Amino acid sequence: MKEKSNNLLLDLYPSTKFLITLFIIITVFIVKGYLYGYLMVPLCLLLALYAKVFKELLGLLIKTLLVLITFIFLIQSFFYPGDTILWSWSFLSLRQEGIDFSLLLTSRIGAIGSALLLFFRITSVKDIVYSLEQLGLPSKVTYVVLSTLTIIPEMKKLSMTIMDAQKTRGVETEGNLRVRAKAFLPTLTPLILTSVASTEERAITLEARAFTAPVKKTSLYRIEKTKKDTVVRILLLLLLIVIIVWRVAL
Amino acid sequence: MKKGLKFDFTLIAILLIPIGVAINVVISQLVQVLRIPLYLDAIGTMLVAMIAGPWVGLVTGGLTNVIKSIFSPTELPFAIVSMVIGLTVGYFSIKKMFTSVGKTIIAGVILTFIVIIVSTPISVILFGGSTGDSSSAVRAIFLASGQGIWKSVFSSNLLIESIDKILSLLITYTIVKKMSDRYLSKHNYGQNFLDS
Amino acid sequence: MSFIQLKNVSYKYPIGKGDVLKGINVKIEKGGFYALIGANGSGKTTFCNVLRGFVPHFYKGDLRGDVLIDGKDIREWEMGELAQKIGFVFQNPFTQISGVKETVFEEIAFGLENLGVDVDIIIQKVEEVIGLLGIDYLRDKNPQELSGGQKQRVALASIIVMEPEILVIDEPTSQLDPRGTEEIFKIIELMKLKGKTIILAEHKIELIAEKAEQILVFQDGEVVMQGTTEEILTDPQVLEYGAALPQYALLGLEMKKRNWEVGQIPLTEQQAITTVKGLSHPKGEQVCHS
Repeated sequence: MKEKSNNLLLDLYPSTKFLITLFIIITVFIVKGYLYGYLMVPLCLLLALYAKVFKELLGLLIKTLLVLITFIFLIQSFFYPGDTILWSWSFLSLRQEGIDFSLLLTSRIGAIGSALLLFFRITSVKDIVYSLEQLGLPSKVTYVVLSTLTIIPEMKKLSMTIMDAQKTRGVETEGNLRVRAKAFLPTLTPLILTSVASTEERAITLEARAFTAPVKKTSLYRIEKTKKDTVVRILLLLLLIVIIVWRVAL
Repeated sequence: MKKGLKFDFTLIAILLIPIGVAINVVISQLVQVLRIPLYLDAIGTMLVAMIAGPWVGLVTGGLTNVIKSIFSPTELPFAIVSMVIGLTVGYFSIKKMFTSVGKTIIAGVILTFIVIIVSTPISVILFGGSTGDSSSAVRAIFLASGQGIWKSVFSSNLLIESIDKILSLLITYTIVKKMSDRYLSKHNYGQNFLDS
Repeated sequence: MSFIQLKNVSYKYPIGKGDVLKGINVKIEKGGFYALIGANGSGKTTFCNVLRGFVPHFYKGDLRGDVLIDGKDIREWEMGELAQKIGFVFQNPFTQISGVKETVFEEIAFGLENLGVDVDIIIQKVEEVIGLLGIDYLRDKNPQELSGGQKQRVALASIIVMEPEILVIDEPTSQLDPRGTEEIFKIIELMKLKGKTIILAEHKIELIAEKAEQILVFQDGEVVMQGTTEEILTDPQVLEYGAALPQYALLGLEMKKRNWEVGQIPLTEQQAITTVKGLSHPKGEQVCHS
C-alpha cells in the first residue's frame, strides 16, 4: 500500500494528475493568444512549489525548454515569411509576423512542456504503470517499464566501469575527435554484449517465478482513488466547460 | 512469416526491450562524455529490431522516447521517429538486409530517408524547425542562404541523419555479429546472423 | 512408480553438434537428496534444465525419451504449473532477482503475485519464509544493492515461498565465499527436513559427502554412476570420470592401497577421525597426520 504524504497534489491518483496536465494541454489550444500559455508556466511552478518539487521543475525547464525557446525566437523572427519589417541588417530582417508566430509557438511549448514535466515530478512511474495495469494494461508492460528504470542506472554504472578499465588498458578517452571516437566502440561492445546475454538467465528467473502463469496476478502494491480525486476531476471538467463556453461566446 | 504479435513477443524478446532502451539512453550520455558530434542513440532500438523483429523494435523505440520525456518532454513527439526506426530496421532484418557491410549501408541510406520524411514535419510543425541542439545552428545556415524552413530542416537533417544512421547501423551490425550463435538462436530473427 | 523418472532421455540444443545428454535413465524418489557431480560441461546443468522443463519449453532443441514428473510427461506440463511443482535456483545471483521490486519483501512476494495468491496470504507466507531463513534484517533492503551471498539467499527464499515439492538447485554456491556457501547449505538442509525432494548440482564435494543421500555422476552427457553417497564417494572410479572425491575418502583410499586396515572408507571429517583413531596399522609404519 502506498503511503499518504498528506499533500493534496501528491496524494491524487495518477490519472487525476494526468487530467490536470491534459487540461492544460487542451486549453492552451482553445484559448486565443499567447498570454494564457505563458501563464501556465508560472502556474505549474506554483503547483510544484506546493508539491515541494519547485527546484527540480525550474532546473528542468531551464535545461530543456529555455534553449529551444531562444532558438525558435531567433530563427522564426528572422526567417518567418511576412512583410512587416521592424529592423533590418544586411540580409537579416526582423519581422513582426515572425515575432507573433514565435510568441504563440513558444507559449504552447512552454505550457505543454511545463505541464508534462510537472506530471512526472509529482507522479512516480511506479504509480503510473500500476494504475495503467488496473485499467487492463498487461502486466508484461508494467514489468518492461519498471525493469527499464532499474536497468538504466545499472548500465550507466557498468559503462563507467568499462570505460575506466579501458583507460587502464591504454584506450584514450581524451584528445581529438578521432581518439575519442576510437574509445566509443571498445566501451560499447562489452556493455551491450554483457547486458544482452543477461536476458537469457532473466527469462529463466521469471519462468521460475511463474511470471508466465496464465492466471490473474495479484499485487502487494496498491493505490486507490479518494474523494479528493472526484472533486478535482469535477472541478477540471467545470473549468473546461467554462473556457469552451467563454471561447465560443466571444 | 506472418505469425502474429504473440509470436514476436516471446519472453526473451520482451526482456530485450529494457536493455535496448537502456542502451539508447546510456549511449546518449556516452556520446556526451566522449564529445562525439553524433546522436547514435537508436543503436539499442536497431539491435532489438534486428534480432527480435519489427514490432519489438517499434516498442523499444517508443519506450525510449517516453522514458526520455520524463526529463525532457520535447522528446515525446519524436517517439514516432524512434518507432519507425524500430519497425524499419526489423523489416530490413526479415528481408535479410543485414548480411554484409555493403547491404547494411544501403539499408542505412533508405532508413535515413524514412527518418527524415517522418521527423521533418514533427520538427517544423511542433517546434518551428528548432530542436535546441547543434543541428539548429546548421539549419540557421541553410535558412540564411535563402531556403525556406521546410527545405532547411530537410537538408540539415539529411546531412546529420545520413552519417548518424548509417554509422549506427554499422555499429549495431558489428555487435550483433559478435553475439553467440546459441544466444541468437533463441530469438525469432536471430538466424540471419548466425556464423554457420 | 518413482516421483521423477527419466527413461532413455537424450537431448540436443538447437545450435550445436551432437547430444548433450545421452540415454539417461534416472529414478528420483520423493523426499530424497540427490547430488549431481561431474566435470564442467558434463551435462549437469542441462539435466537440471530438463527436470525443470526449460528444456524443451524454453531452450527448444530436440528432446527424446520420457521425462515423467509425478507420472506426467514434462512436455504436457504448463510452465505456470511447473513453477509451483519444481523450484529452480541457479548459479548467478545477479540475474536471479526480478529487477522490478524495491524491497526484499516485495521481491520474495513476486512469485506469489504472479500466481494470483491473495495479498493477505502472500504477506503471511513471505513473513514465514523470512523467519525460516533468518533474513529479517534484509527485508526492507533494495534487492539490487545486496551482496552476492545475500542475493542468492533471497533468490532461494523467493522460490521456497512458492512451496514447490522439488527443488532443483544448479551450483548455487559457485560464486559465493565459504560463509555464503555455508548459509546456502543450511537452507538446503532445512528444506530437506521439510520433506522436499532436492536435486543439487555442486562442485563442493566435502559438503555433498556430508549432506547428500544419493549421487549421480555425469560424464560427457551420460550418467556413468549412480548410487548412495557412501557407495559412490568411496569409489576411486569416480576420479576416472572427471569428478572429485572428498579429501577424507582420498585419504582412506590411499591408506587402503597401502594395505592398512581402514574398514569403511571415511567420507566426512568426523568419519575420518574415527577411522584414524581406530586404525590398527601394520608394524614399522607411522601414521601420517594431515
